[in-house]
Amino acid sequence: MVGNRGDWPVLVEEATRLSSFAVELAALGGEELPALVEFLAGEPPLPFRYLSVHGPSKGRHVSEAELVATLARLPGFVDAIVLHPDRIEDPTAYVPLGGRLVIENMDSRKATGRTADELEGLFAHLPEAGFCFDVAHACTVDATMAAAADLLDCFVDRLRHVHVSSISSDHGHVPLSAGDEELFAPLLSRCRDVPWILEAAPR
Amino acid sequence: MDALEQLAARSGRTFPNLFEARRLTERRLGEMKERLAGLAVDPDVGVALFGSWGRHELTPHSDDDWAILVAGAERSEVRPSPVAVEKAIGREESKPGAQGIFGASVFCDHLVERIGLDADDNRNLTRRILLLLESVPVANGSVHAECRKRVMAGYLDESVKDYRPPRFFLNDLIRYWRTICVDFVGKEREEEGQRWALRNLKLGASRKVLFAGGLLPILLCHRYKAADIGPFLDAVLSRPSIDRLAWAFLELEAVDAGVRAIGAYDRFLRMLADPGVRAELTRLPRREAQNSPLFVEGSRLGDELEQGLLALLFETPLEPLVREYGIF
Repeated sequence: MVGNRGDWPVLVEEATRLSSFAVELAALGGEELPALVEFLAGEPPLPFRYLSVHGPSKGRHVSEAELVATLARLPGFVDAIVLHPDRIEDPTAYVPLGGRLVIENMDSRKATGRTADELEGLFAHLPEAGFCFDVAHACTVDATMAAAADLLDCFVDRLRHVHVSSISSDHGHVPLSAGDEELFAPLLSRCRDVPWILEAAPR
Repeated sequence: MDALEQLAARSGRTFPNLFEARRLTERRLGEMKERLAGLAVDPDVGVALFGSWGRHELTPHSDDDWAILVAGAERSEVRPSPVAVEKAIGREESKPGAQGIFGASVFCDHLVERIGLDADDNRNLTRRILLLLESVPVANGSVHAECRKRVMAGYLDESVKDYRPPRFFLNDLIRYWRTICVDFVGKEREEEGQRWALRNLKLGASRKVLFAGGLLPILLCHRYKAADIGPFLDAVLSRPSIDRLAWAFLELEAVDAGVRAIGAYDRFLRMLADPGVRAELTRLPRREAQNSPLFVEGSRLGDELEQGLLALLFETPLEPLVREYGIF
């Protein structure tokens, strides 16, 4: 899908071939967001029961207020707007996104947003915000998965969806390995009621 | 400690709006009983409240859906009369809806003897199911208990088998749920979409809690011998719907999903208790709903509740039962 970045109709078609239940449309670069917003504003016919938009994780060229205003314009059928905590400077600026805002836990390379303790302060400013549990990110922070369990304990009532993959040695998302599947299973079994987004093609 | 309190304790969550609604319900039930205490009541007649009263989820704007239950024979004169009850209750702004389901005398014989076929009209079906699933007595409580017992016995006949959900009751419950869903569209067309948004959200949340609050105990009857199914259902259905849900999530070891589902419902209740939110949702036409942050949020909370319930039904040992009994 990486080769088709920005071509939203093609990406949607590819995603539909895998599942018509849940999808996450990721505008990870700030420059990708306007085209995604425009695409969704056209209310294209989509088969998904759950539609998440991943906001920019790099290359934000506008103020936080402008970014939030753009994200707030996403149509009502967008269920979740995922953001990375390390990109949030002023949490209160994101309050207008209400219950659609979903914060994702970070991997070990990031300076913050990796553990429950590091996320708690952010959520305190955003009482309506949800939590996106990236199980592979949590594994890079603590291979025993204790930190991952802590995230699920602390944000049990905020959990909205899960990112599933393994992480390669260069920190890229790769298909879930058999070893990780076994390691992650007890945690993922606690998340059977929320959509799972595969961040790499299934094995 | 009831099941909702247990779920709260297990998860360290508080469900503040549900517990506040319970406190309000208890307080208002006491007031309601006092108002009705002076009425002359026939020995075989009682008064019960339905809907959010029965769910113990009263908010300041809930309707007073009352009915006069008659355990004895059908007759033209019943004490108290609907006029007397209406006068005693007062609260003009919270009168029962105009469909005539409530605010009237209800003969238990009709509920028990008219299950299925033409005589079992929409009103009769609604009254019967709600009597079992979400009602609470406010005058002459023994009549309420007797009527519930007789209606339950009407379902639990000789067809009930050991370690099987009672299919007759299950079918009537599913029929009721689908009737609500179909009638939602009927009302929309009849009233040209008035109050569409509020009704839609209630269908996706409160009505779903009502249905699931019956469905789960009925499915869990598979744990019991036929002789024990009646006492089991009687005990479980005497608790508010949300307690039955909390109990099922605990029983089936789906605590995380339960916290999320009931937490979403708790936040939905907060919306309903807010007069500004309620007014906006009452006014909102269907064509504007997707542009309303309030409607989108209410809809999202309904989806969260549903996701939790679906996980309970399809990701736990209930799944084979849903497969066997839920479709055909």
